[in-house]
Amino acid sequence: MSEQNALILTEAEQALVAQLNESGAKQMASDLSETGLPTRRVEAYHYTDLRMLLREVPQSFSQENLETQTAHCSFKIADAFEIDFDNGQISLVENAPFGVFVADQDGSSLSERKDILCDLNRAFTKKSLLVRLEGKVANIVHIKRSISGDARHVNSALMLDIAAGAEMVVLETFEGNEAAHLGNHATRVNLGAGAKFTHIVIEANSKRARHFHTMEYAIGENVTLRNLVVNSGAELSRVQMFGRFEGEGTHADLSGLNLVDDGQHCDITMDMTHAAENTTAEEMFKSVVRNRAKAIFQGRIVVDAVAQKTDAKMMAQGLMLSEGAQILAKPELEIFADDVQCGHGCTCGELDEDALFYLMSRGIGRQEAGALLIRAFIQELLDPIENEDVNLALSKIVSDWLEEGSTS
Amino acid sequence: MSTPMLEIVNLHVRVEDKEILKGVNLSVPAGEVHAIMGRNGSGKSTLSYAIAGRDGYEITGGDIRLDGKSILDMEVDKRAAEGLFLAFQYPIEIPGVATMTFLKAAMNAQRKARGEDEMTIPEFMKAVQEAAKNLSIDKDMLKRALNVGFSGGEKKRAEMLQMTLLEPKMCILDETDSGLDIDALQVVSEGVNQLRAPNRSMLVITHYQRLLNHIVPDRVHVFSDGRIVESGGKELALELEAKGYANYEGAAGAV
Ligand SMILES: Nc1ncnc2c1ncn2[C@@H]1O[C@H](COP(=O)(O)OP(=O)(O)O)[C@@H](O)[C@H]1O
Ligand SMILES: [Mg+2]
Repeated sequence: MSEQNALILTEAEQALVAQLNESGAKQMASDLSETGLPTRRVEAYHYTDLRMLLREVPQSFSQENLETQTAHCSFKIADAFEIDFDNGQISLVENAPFGVFVADQDGSSLSERKDILCDLNRAFTKKSLLVRLEGKVANIVHIKRSISGDARHVNSALMLDIAAGAEMVVLETFEGNEAAHLGNHATRVNLGAGAKFTHIVIEANSKRARHFHTMEYAIGENVTLRNLVVNSGAELSRVQMFGRFEGEGTHADLSGLNLVDDGQHCDITMDMTHAAENTTAEEMFKSVVRNRAKAIFQGRIVVDAVAQKTDAKMMAQGLMLSEGAQILAKPELEIFADDVQCGHGCTCGELDEDALFYLMSRGIGRQEAGALLIRAFIQELLDPIENEDVNLALSKIVSDWLEEGSTS
Repeated sequence: MSTPMLEIVNLHVRVEDKEILKGVNLSVPAGEVHAIMGRNGSGKSTLSYAIAGRDGYEITGGDIRLDGKSILDMEVDKRAAEGLFLAFQYPIEIPGVATMTFLKAAMNAQRKARGEDEMTIPEFMKAVQEAAKNLSIDKDMLKRALNVGFSGGEKKRAEMLQMTLLEPKMCILDETDSGLDIDALQVVSEGVNQLRAPNRSMLVITHYQRLLNHIVPDRVHVFSDGRIVESGGKELALELEAKGYANYEGAAGAV
């Protein structure tokens, strides 16, 4: 008897199979019922065993069961051009600033990548939001995805098409009401030659939510890319970042923060491939974990044989604030070119006792001293974000998180 | 008799299962400056950490009283708010914490603990600028992260800046002279001397007599193997300089 025949689907898997059948994705439904969701035996999901962690799947979103709900948005950036993307529904906005074009396109924006979250997103997503950006866009483009109402399973997909030479900042936020939503979202980014692009992604769902987000970057030549992913809200989250350096002369600063509290499981997984000569990347991922919770960072850098002169440095740092806190990091390098400079580092620890003592000896209470040190640990990620309003918004997430800790 | 500012009674301290302080007795009256001199490894820094309340410095006997009140049960920050200040032998570098942010947090925390209002930003800026000028600390240094990339001398001056701003009633200066050249020593000593006041006491820890030419102590105590083995006036420092500590090695066992 093969293992596949023996597989008894979990409640969540059964619900997904039923929803896939309903939405006409018969093949995916039958595949999923054979394999089930990935377990820890699947390498990419070793630390995030979806079969175990995803206990149930709420009803799929449909237009009919949407009562009028106020969308959640706690982020308000001055002068931002806002695009609402609630419950995966595309509402085309008018009055876009010069250089911003908004449309929709059929199907998911994701590539054909083999990955369960991508497969599901492609199966469920009927239409993607397409945002094309040209030239120098002064306003921040803020794409707000939120889920409202009773617990729902929502898929959404965004295509960001950044024209050659364009310069802009895109902020993506993910929020929702208190219900136990399941969101499986996608963002695909095409970066034209010479584009200067800053991409801030904030996951600030309510504690009961489950959040999956796959990002794909196709990066042209001479691009300057900076991103920051903040993963903090949902009880279960996995943010995947896949990228390909396809043109020469590009530099990317990629970064992420897992800010995790009791009961949460937050995973940032990055997989970047250098497929052209002379590209550089600095990857910096940090996790701060309080109480019984888990943060995961998986990072892989692949350097293709053609990608000579690649310079890629990946760093993972963790700060564990409590006994039950867990931080798991798995950095990997796969290098097929000979003239490259690649490295990775990984450090993990508790608050520095000497520093705490020093601060307290000046009259600063333990809680506040700890907060100063945690903030200092995170600050390195926020400092490069030049837009003041976005920086403030990020800073506030950290302050609120620290505040919550001081009352519990 | 008036209450001493700092009173240490038969203090025994253990660090990692090793007894380091073996019965320290010391009384520093209000307004006086006392010096503790002793070899490296004799336990001077251990004494300063025990007074400040550092974790891992287990008090196995005796008492420490600040202005008449035992501080043994107080957390480190509470002791500071009560007016204790320790200038570290090796100030800690704290990347990511701006010096000014730290100074403001410390000053306001102490005010809050004493039930006073927070300082306004202009009040704060003015206080820092004045104190910095007195200690020849340039603005650039204040813009950096706390102690990060400071030279040895800059670190010591930064400690003096904090001491000036926090207005403690009991200052402990642990080897403040180490790492200072003659000019810096002059500046720092002047800063310290300006802080001498009838309601402020100081305990100056050093193993060179040099500092005591600038900060002239009321009393000098010789420290050896975890206790005070001899006390005297300021001339004792000169005697030590001439004869060395060797004479006191035996005495430690005898007391
Ligand atoms: N954290 C520690 N753990 C173990 N031993 C220590 C520690 N700190 C100090 N000691 C020991 O305590 C003794 C006194 O050290 P210290 O107080 O630093 O002396 P001093 O300041 O007079 O040079 C030394 O023998 C030193 O090795
Ligand atoms: Mg010492």
